[in-house]
Order: sequence, then structure tokens, then C-alpha cells
Amino acid sequence: MTTAPQSVNLKEELAAIWAELLALSPDAVPGDVSFLRLGGDSVLTVRMSALVRRRLNVVLALSDVRVEITLNQLADLVRRRASDEPMARTLPLQVTRRPDPYAEFPLLPLQQGYFVGQQDGWELSYDSAHYYLDYALRGVDGDEAADALSDAIERLAVHQPALRVRVTPEGRQRILADGAPRLTVYDLRASSPEDAAAALAGVRHEMSVRGPDPTGGPGLDVRLTLLPGGEGRLHLGFSLLTFDGWSSGVLSRDLLAYAADWNAVLPPLEVDFGDYVTALAGLPETEAWRADRDWWFSRLDDLPLPPALPLAADPKDVRPVTMGNREHRWSAERWSALRRECARREVTPSTAMFTAFAIVLARWSGHRRMLLTSLQLNRLPLHPDLHRVVGAFASTMLLPVELAHGATFAELAAAAQRTSGEHAAHNLVTGVEVGRELARRRGTWRPVGPVVFQSVLGVDAAMGGRPPEEAGPLGRIIAGDYFHQLRTPQVALEVRCFEIGDEAVAVFSLVDELFDATAVTAAFTEFVAVVDGLADGSGWDLVPRLPEPADLPAQEDGPRLGRLPEAASERYSGPPADELEQTVAEVFEELLEVPVLDRGADFFALGGDSLLAVRTVVRLAKEIGVTVPVREFLADPTVAGVAHAARTRTEDSR
Amino acid sequence: MIGVLGATGAVGRTAAERLAAFGPGGLRLGGRDAARAADLARTLPAPAEAVRVDLTDPDDLARFCAGCTIVVNCAGPTYRVLDTVARAAFAAGADYVDIGGELAAKDALSGSAVPGERTAVFSAGVMPGLSGLLPRLLANGRPLRRLDVYVGGAAVFTPLSAVDALLTRGPRFGVPMAAWREGAATPLAPLHGVRLPGFPVPVHAWPYLTTEAQALAAACGADEVRCYNVFVSGRIPEALSGAWADVPDVHAAPLETLRPYATQVVDASRLDNADVGAFYVMLFTARPHRGAPAGPTRMLLTAEDSYALSGVVTALAARAVLAGRIPPGVHLAAEALDPDEAATALRGDPLVTELALS
Repeated sequence: MTTAPQSVNLKEELAAIWAELLALSPDAVPGDVSFLRLGGDSVLTVRMSALVRRRLNVVLALSDVRVEITLNQLADLVRRRASDEPMARTLPLQVTRRPDPYAEFPLLPLQQGYFVGQQDGWELSYDSAHYYLDYALRGVDGDEAADALSDAIERLAVHQPALRVRVTPEGRQRILADGAPRLTVYDLRASSPEDAAAALAGVRHEMSVRGPDPTGGPGLDVRLTLLPGGEGRLHLGFSLLTFDGWSSGVLSRDLLAYAADWNAVLPPLEVDFGDYVTALAGLPETEAWRADRDWWFSRLDDLPLPPALPLAADPKDVRPVTMGNREHRWSAERWSALRRECARREVTPSTAMFTAFAIVLARWSGHRRMLLTSLQLNRLPLHPDLHRVVGAFASTMLLPVELAHGATFAELAAAAQRTSGEHAAHNLVTGVEVGRELARRRGTWRPVGPVVFQSVLGVDAAMGGRPPEEAGPLGRIIAGDYFHQLRTPQVALEVRCFEIGDEAVAVFSLVDELFDATAVTAAFTEFVAVVDGLADGSGWDLVPRLPEPADLPAQEDGPRLGRLPEAASERYSGPPADELEQTVAEVFEELLEVPVLDRGADFFALGGDSLLAVRTVVRLAKEIGVTVPVREFLADPTVAGVAHAARTRTEDSR
Repeated sequence: MIGVLGATGAVGRTAAERLAAFGPGGLRLGGRDAARAADLARTLPAPAEAVRVDLTDPDDLARFCAGCTIVVNCAGPTYRVLDTVARAAFAAGADYVDIGGELAAKDALSGSAVPGERTAVFSAGVMPGLSGLLPRLLANGRPLRRLDVYVGGAAVFTPLSAVDALLTRGPRFGVPMAAWREGAATPLAPLHGVRLPGFPVPVHAWPYLTTEAQALAAACGADEVRCYNVFVSGRIPEALSGAWADVPDVHAAPLETLRPYATQVVDASRLDNADVGAFYVMLFTARPHRGAPAGPTRMLLTAEDSYALSGVVTALAARAVLAGRIPPGVHLAAEALDPDEAATALRGDPLVTELALS
């Protein structure tokens, strides 16, 4: 049993040890500079470990104390080793207001995914990753509404700095001092019903196919249509790069609160999204993060493939503009029955939906074991204000499912809940990061989890009740009269479950071009039927019909999801053949921080990821004056391949 | 007569074989075990006599050197031997080649009166030696922006070479965790789990800016030199660091103190070897200045074992001295040998799996 060192004195103690070894003054030991930079070497790290052991009675593994370690990392390591809970989830991270609120900060993993998903070239990419929603207003004060809403947006942009976020071409982000969204108003009060309907359809189409893009403007697009008879519609376009599902809820509430009352004052927020992300930069240095990473990485080789859904086209060949929808709404009565049945069986409604989805996928794909992606809110509770802060906090989680033969629905759901809980307990490393490593190991650049489950059932309750139904000059909010459209990059099929007032909704959003429409409709109908069976209580003890094989045996019946051929690139070897290849190698080196000595060196095999690839393209353009399209970078991400793409570009432009 | 000291060791045996094939004249094989030396003598294609020698006995040394035109020392630990054998060789009117020694030995010998017509070549092994010689072929008159040296693999250390490794510490040998950049040592971080051309598995590369690499930078006009010792795991670096942390002044420590640490280094190398099998790679990469004339930028030498390879280099150095291609004086092999000739000879040697310029 060791004595846990007091954290206050710990850093001082460690700084004193470093100072002694490095012949520095203890005050001259910064927390974030490596032992190496301060003059340490591997011998001194051994002595440092010995001193830590003697003075603090903490034994460190030699392999943990690398010469690149910083004082902060060491303090964290010592703290973890000293406590008898190596898996303690209390993170040594603090969210505080940044000294410079306009300083750049990195993108979170899922933001990175969406950012690169907006670059033409990735499979299933769109010009913008966004969610569009409009809903009906009644009793609108046509003369006041626009001003009230405009003013509300301005105040909201002060309250929630994330409304002023911009994403840089290199894939970082920052908050602007002045960059609030502006309101667009369509006054159709004097139009005929036909003209109004046509205009409304036009706005919907435009906002569906072109979302707000924070690389060039605000990530939020707000528009107001004034219709005859005191009616109206509020249109909201949310960039997925800047707002997650929870945030769109918070944002709507805040916006309506401001619009309802010129004098409304919301409780101030001590921190913003940038403060959170900046604090999170220390996450990979924590033992807890490393433990989660090791947990995931040790499971990677056993993770199943995504459901082998039969495809109508190879995802790399389709250029979707919007996603198709199948939607079902459960009445207040049905939904409340379903919740009751779930509670009786100690299963969350989300788990019930997830299990129903998995069963339908198993029947559709012909096998029972599959990898799904679950969208997680994932706000680490590092500050009491965070649940009221708007930003892109969400992340994904890879979730393997194996539906056991002969089990009842209730048993399958209980198993799914266990698995999900077990995986969610390791949420410090996100599905985006795990997926990257999985893709690297599988040697694929296709999405590893293109089938997604998302549920925000119960979120309204968590936010403290339903959204407001009255918004001053905007009139009454008719939440049930809505229209929506989603574009999520790298997703083939996504189910979303949410509440509208007392009702519940499930939507299949999918890339229409990939699937046979009849099969999708059949699967959705089946999904609704399974859930209906749960609501009336009859479905829980039934043993669902499931296909025999756990994994789909190889077969020749056309393309299937997750079983598609990989693009073969040319094989190069030898040192960089000319100055251009050498330049490419050195740009790779700079971004990957490893030696790049061979023209056949593959950017991703060297440890690169999609965001670094985008940065490499930007960096390379500065170096050689030619922008290699991401699509071509991906087609052959070797030194020689990228140089070849650059050369072809140069020649084309002549 | 060519005298080979430490002839029965891992390096000496190969040196003796190569020198015997080279002819002319006979060989005198010196070792601690006369019987083993005699066994070796019988296998050689040239007349060879076996002699028992204790390097710490001046009379033994003098007797061994008498009558030799050149004395080739493959015995160690080379950093303990320093200039002892060289002096004995010079006293007997013989030239001298040593597998090791580095600046420490060179300076010790140069510091006193050297007979004007005698030649001594130190560091005539793989590293130092080839590691400072072969990269010169890449510079070839072109000033370089950067030169990288990656040397290592998964060979089993002998107890003596482990002691040598323990003794390669201190300013006379090099600066750990550093690169040479525009005339000064600057920090350089180790690489973990990287893939390097020619290395069959991902490796860990530890920067060690040898004095040889610093000289190389000057010789090649390289703005930056990065020199790495390459291992397949963290075991050997950890064993070495652990020893150095416990024994701050290795050079002053008696051999008995170092032995247990040497055993740990040997054990570490055995585990590495068991993991991936034996291999040894020397990789040099050059980055010429923009607009420089085209030419090779990579040199890759692969072998199964570095000890035997060191013996080949020692023999090459001895041949060059015997042929009068190295002027009198005290030299380091990397600076005195002709890189082209060395490359040609190595390419033809069965112990070299591959030597490629590209």
C-alpha cells in the first residue's frame, strides 16, 4: 500500500527532482515541456524514476517514463500509480476560461470526421454535413417577429460563442469576435397559397442541399417565412461541424427564450466549447485515456464487420446530394405504453429501439454478428455549465452486436444493454479514433461503421422538460408540424429516434443510391412492427426469427456493405526519385513526425489519419503551389503517388 | 607476418579468415585460449601459428608483436585496451589496426611520440567504422541538407561487446538524444515503432550523436546529421540506461562491476533476437541541396550479423595499410579508408546480404 501523494505538492516535488537532475531552478521547470527538451536523456529518466520511488514511494514502469514525458504527464502518471484505482474516471482535467477567447483550438474527433467528410474525395461525402429542420408557427406577429428573432440571434451569439465558430482550411477552429449568423426573412403574407407553398418548397430544397458551412461563415442558418393568416415557419440549418444533437435542442430553447422576451436574461456560462476542447487536449496524456485506448485496441482484431446489406451500387461510385428518409411516429399513447413496458423489463427505450434495429439488420443482411456505430452525446462532466453550452461535443462509439440464437427479445435487449454499457464505460477514446485504427489494421479506407444508431429519447426530460411552446412575437410553436433533412458523411444508413412533444419518432436516413428502395421500405416496416410488438407487450417473450450464420460466408451475389473490394494502388519502392517526391516526403515527415524515407511509404500506414491528410494537402499546396485533390491523395496515398498527382495537376494547368 | 589478436572471438575469426585468403605471408593468431587458436589455424588457407596472449601482460604483447609487419587487434573491451597494443606494435616496428578505439585511443596514441613511418588505424569495425565511411558515397561532392544514419538490428551481443556498449558513454563517444544541426548538438527525440526501409520489422531508433557522426557532418558538408542506434524493442536501451544510472562513471568502474550489467544487456539482446530472428541493417539516407546534381540518396547494407561484418572491415583496413594506401600517422578507419574500395569489397563478401546504392 502506497501513500497517495498530495496533488498540490506533487508537482512541486517532481519539479524539484527534475531541477536536481537537470541542474535547473525548480521554478524553471515548465509543466508542458518534455524532459528531453530540458536536457534529459534516457539515463536521467532512470534516475528520475529512482528518485520518484525513493521520495514519493511510487514505483513507475520504465517503459512508461519515456524521455519525451512532460512534468504534467509525469504528475498524472505518479498520481495514477499512487492511487489504488488505476481505472479511476476522475480526470485530471480542468475546464477554465482561456486567456484568449479567440485563440485557435483543435477539432474534436467527430468534428474531424465531418470536416474531412466535407472534402470531396471521401466515400459518401457531401459539400456540407448538416441537419435541416423547419417547424410551424401560429399567431405570428408579422410586424415584430423578424426584429425579435434577429435580436434574439444576436444576443444568442453573445451568450453562446459557438455561434461564432469558424473552421480553418487546416481543420482547426476558432471563435470570432464578430461572426454571428444573420436572419433571412421571406415575407409571403401577401402571396397566394400556391405561391407561398412553392416558395416554401424552394427554401426547403435550398436549405436541404446546401447547409451552413463553418469553413466560410456561421455554422447556423436561421430563416423565417411569414405566411398569410398569421402563420409562419422557422427554418434552422445546423452544421454538424459546430452543433451536435443536444446543442440543437439547447440552441432552439435559448433562441426562443430570447425571441419571446426582449429582456430575457439566461444564466451566464462560465466556459465555452473552445475552453472544453482546449482542456481535452490533455486527455491523451492521462492514464485513464490510455487505459481506454488499450481496452479498445485489444478488441479490434475481434470486432465484426458491418451488416452485409445488399447494395445497389458501390459507395465510392455514388454522389449523393441528400439522404432519403423513412419515418414513423408513435402516438403519445403508444409511446407511453412502450416506455412502461421498457421500464418493467429494466431496458431503456433506446436499447429496445437498438435491439429492434439490430434484428432487422440481421434479417436484411443474412447474419447475426455485426458492427454498428452509435452516436453518443459524450459530454465529459468536467464543468457544471457544460450541459448548457452549445458546441459539437458528440462522438461516435463502435458497438459490436451478436444476436444469440434462440433468445427472446427481452434477453437480446438485456444483452445489448450490457454490451453497450460496457463499451460506453470506455468513452474517453471515441469511435472515430478506434475506427481509424481499425481501418488501418484492416487496410481499408472505406468507413468501418457506416450503419449508425442514434437515439435522443429522454433528452427533453434531461434538458428540464419540453421546449417552450410560446415565443412572443413568433407566436405558438407547433413542434409536431415539422420537416427535416439530414446529411451525415460516411454513413450509409442511420436510424434516429427522438421525441416530439408526447410522441416518439423513428427515422431511417439513408443514401438512396446504395439500396433497393423496396428492401429499405420492407426493413423499415419490419422495424416499426417489432417496436409495436414491444409497445403492446407481446414482442418481449417472442424468439425473433434470425439467420443461421453469425458472420456472412463469402458469396457471389452482388456487392454488399463492408465486403467491397479495396482500391489497389501501384507499388513503389526506393528513395524519393526526384525533388518533388522529396518535398512530398518531407511534408509527410513534418505532419507525421516520423522519418519518411521511401517513395512507397503510405501516408496512413505511417500513422496518418484523414484530418492529417487534409492538412498535408494544404501544407503541400503552400510548398509546391499545387493543390492535390483529396480524392487523388486517397487513391494513392504514397509519396510517389501524391507526387504523381501533383505533377499531373501541374501539367494539366499548363 | 600478420598478427591477429582476439582471433578466436566473434570478430577476430572472420578477420583472420579474410586476411589468410588475402595472403602473402603467414598469420599469427593470438587468443586467451591457445587450443582454440590452434583449431582456427588449422582451418585457414594460409600458414598460421597459434599463440596464447594475455593483453594485460606487456611481455606477452611484445613477444606477440615481434616479427609482425602489422598487428590487427580484435580483442577487447576495446575501450579498455586503448593504445596499449598499438604501442607494443609500434615498438616492434609493426603497423596497427584496431576494430575499436575511437577518439579516446587515437588521442592517447597521438599524444605521445609516434614513430614517423608507422601507421595506426582505429575504429575499423562496423560502428564506428563503416557507419562513418559508407555515407561519404552519398555526399560525393554534393553538400547535403541532411544525412540520416540508422544502424542496428537484432544480433545477440557477446559478453565483451556488451561491455563495449556499456563503455560507449561520455563526451569522447557521443551525445545521446541529439542531432548535429548547423555545427551544434541539438535535442532529437527517439522514434518508437517506426518502419524504415531495409528493416524487416517496426523498430525503435535512439538518437546517439557519435563523434564519428560529427566528423561525418564536416566531411560531407551536411547541415544536419541524425544518427540513430536501432533496436527492435526497448529492452537493450533500457538495460543500458539502467546500468548508466547505477554506475555513473563506467570508465572508472572495474570490469567486475560492469559484468552483471553486461549480462543484462546480453539477455535483452537474446530476447530481441528470439522475437524477430537475426538481422543487421545499415541505412544511410542523404538529402542534397535543391538543384544539386542527381545521384544516389540511399545506401542500404544488410547482413545477418554485425560481428563477422566487423571482422571483414578490420581485414579491409589491414589490407589497405599493407598495400601502402594509408599514409603514416594515426587515423580513424572512416576517414582513412576509400569508401568506393570498401563498398566494392563488401559487395563481393559472402557475409553481406545486400549492399545497394539507390
